Amino acid sequence: MDLSLTDDQVAILDAIDTLTRPYAGASLHEAGFALPDAQLDRDLAEGGFLDIGFDPDLGAVSAALVVERLARLPQTVEAAASALIRPLLGGDLPRPLCLVEEGRTTRPIRFLREGATVLLVGSSGVSTFTATAAQVRPEPEALYGYPMATLLTVPAERTLHAIPASEVLIRWRIALAAEAAGLLAAALDSTVAHVIDRQQFGRPLATFQALRHRLAQAQVRANGVRWLALKAAATLDPGDAALAALHAQESARATVYDFHQFFGAMGVTLEHPLHLWTYRLKALIGDLRGRGGQGLAAAAALWP
Amino acid sequence: MDFDWTDQETAFRDRLRALLADTLPDDWERFSQHGPASPALTRYAESFCGTLAEQGLLIPHWPVELGGQGLDPWHQTILAEEMWIAGEPRGGQYMNVNWIGPTLIRYGSSDQQARYLPPIAEGKALWCQGFSEPGSGSDLASLRTRAERDGDQYRVTGQKIWTSYAGLADTCFLVCRTSDDRKRGISILLVPMDTPGITVRQIPSLIGEGDIHEVFFDDVIVPVTARLGDEGQAWEIIGYSLTNERLGIPRYALARAALDRAVSILKAQDEFDGEAVKIEAAHCAALTEAARMASYAIVDRRAKGEAIGAESSSARFATVMAERRVCEFIVEYLPEALADAHPYLKMHHQRGIVAGIAAGAAEIQLNIIATDVLKLPREPR
Ligand SMILES: Cc1cc2nc3c(=O)[nH]c(=O)nc-3n(C[C@H](O)[C@H](O)[C@H](O)COP(=O)(O)OP(=O)(O)OC[C@H]3O[C@@H](n4cnc5c(N)ncnc54)[C@H](O)[C@@H]3O)c2cc1C
Repeated sequence: MDLSLTDDQVAILDAIDTLTRPYAGASLHEAGFALPDAQLDRDLAEGGFLDIGFDPDLGAVSAALVVERLARLPQTVEAAASALIRPLLGGDLPRPLCLVEEGRTTRPIRFLREGATVLLVGSSGVSTFTATAAQVRPEPEALYGYPMATLLTVPAERTLHAIPASEVLIRWRIALAAEAAGLLAAALDSTVAHVIDRQQFGRPLATFQALRHRLAQAQVRANGVRWLALKAAATLDPGDAALAALHAQESARATVYDFHQFFGAMGVTLEHPLHLWTYRLKALIGDLRGRGGQGLAAAAALWP
Repeated sequence: MDFDWTDQETAFRDRLRALLADTLPDDWERFSQHGPASPALTRYAESFCGTLAEQGLLIPHWPVELGGQGLDPWHQTILAEEMWIAGEPRGGQYMNVNWIGPTLIRYGSSDQQARYLPPIAEGKALWCQGFSEPGSGSDLASLRTRAERDGDQYRVTGQKIWTSYAGLADTCFLVCRTSDDRKRGISILLVPMDTPGITVRQIPSLIGEGDIHEVFFDDVIVPVTARLGDEGQAWEIIGYSLTNERLGIPRYALARAALDRAVSILKAQDEFDGEAVKIEAAHCAALTEAARMASYAIVDRRAKGEAIGAESSSARFATVMAERRVCEFIVEYLPEALADAHPYLKMHHQRGIVAGIAAGAAEIQLNIIATDVLKLPREPR
């Protein structure tokens, strides 16, 4: 076993940090719930960062590292599905890539818009189509940290892909866990900075053990989600992927409340970026039937 | 023990439900997504509270001599539950009738009562509460907004934050410092919001437009007669007010109603199918009902005239646990509720997520339970 990043991976993450540095200081005032950034999206796509998963030498682990790193930004770009699932489909499908589970098509869908590629996965297999304006209802008022839209109809005419649905589900779960790992880390960093800075009763909030222990547990969770996501990306095993996604969703549920709680009323303003991470985590919690769905998938894979 | 409602209580609840059904506009559920402090809901509340007042349902728990009917705390609870379940069409006025009015009744001068109680009783007043400051949230006693005595008036300077309703309120229940003594140096002033020197800025928030504000006081002149109670009596008065407010919002009732609604939608979509979703829903219901009973145990004691102490913190934290789990259930199993699909559930989410912060942070309630209920020794400072 060797759990260090390869030289290539270090170089990729350094390059991402360099590319995204100018974005870190973006004005968040009145950012709303989501902070999509078309320029950042273009920069990342042109830099090839979202195509890393196509390179067999770099593979899914490197793609997951990219997804995790990008999820820490206040801005959001559709990276997870593009980096981890597109390589499975081959070819040049237009981005963003939006994932939809058969039987759950009424759910709000991240990044869905006219021209996006919609990937439908379920018992009938794996298929894609390019969304038209008429099929999409934007949800600007949705309480999620991603641009969201509802799919109004699923066209009968779709491109069928000769890959098993299970392969897509494995990568969906890895993508979800990798993204959650970055979001958890960023939300935790932000909360840690706040409780160190904020004083009540003549001392920093950070000195209250009630908060320290819950934040320490959040660190354990964020760390666990990251490792499970990376391991699953390496093995592409259905059990590993389900465990990673289960731990991600459970950890998101367990920590989002605390992060907001520790900010006090500051945590309900749009002037602080916290919600940009927590309200993305909220959007991931319900994917693929939530923790129940991941739990059943994990049990089926681990103890068939 | 008897866990049933009396016929009179049931009739009272039915009457409220009928009134709500008759009065609320058809698109109410969508409309009520505006927070209770939003301009839209505040405007609507004026007409709604007028209707309640006409029907004798705005202040039925107030004493008869002040226009109420002297109904007991059970009726007050039923009223609060039905209104909160309906999305609180009284807007910010729920605060007036629940605790501002009762606090004025208990501590106000006759002039203050004559000036402020009738508009509350008619449904025409809107108050805001100026407690929190940028440096003083949980540690309220550290507040610094200063009221300097100058003859028969005070000169007020300082800043409040997170003030709900401030944008439209006519009067502020202002907590400020009249001397350096940490708790005994705090006094309450009843300040008209159009007094020169007051500036209000809205804070953009996750929970919707118009909900929270900063309020700046810059050399604001307030007559001494506007002081509620004695100089330095604020801590006692606030204690009385907050006990009323903490019990004032029966959040468990809306959480349960939202849970029931979510389950009925899931059933209609054939998605209340696996064990996971059913068990999670049951956990939620257990928490809402535990919170309900913890609250009812306090209402019962109030109805019997007993003093209430730290148990109200226990009931309050029980509702925080229930709100949290129900919000999480809906996010996980019915995520479209936070988009546009189910406005009632979105309304619940927006109100539920602040349960652990508004009116005092949940961790402070836990400290109170630990110290005053469990009698644990305090953490060394
Ligand atoms: C929707 C909304 C409406 C509001 N409306 C009003 C209003 O109308 N008027 C008004 O005056 N205020 C209002 N508030 C403010 C509210 O009263 C405060 O948010 C609350 O008292 C907490 O203070 P804070 O936000 O400064 O958090 P902080 O006091 O900074 O607390 C942050 C975190 O630290 C924790 N913490 C603090 N001290 C301790 C301790 N000793 N031990 C363990 N943990 C601790 C808290 O529990 C919390 O989790 C409103 C808040 C909200 C969210």
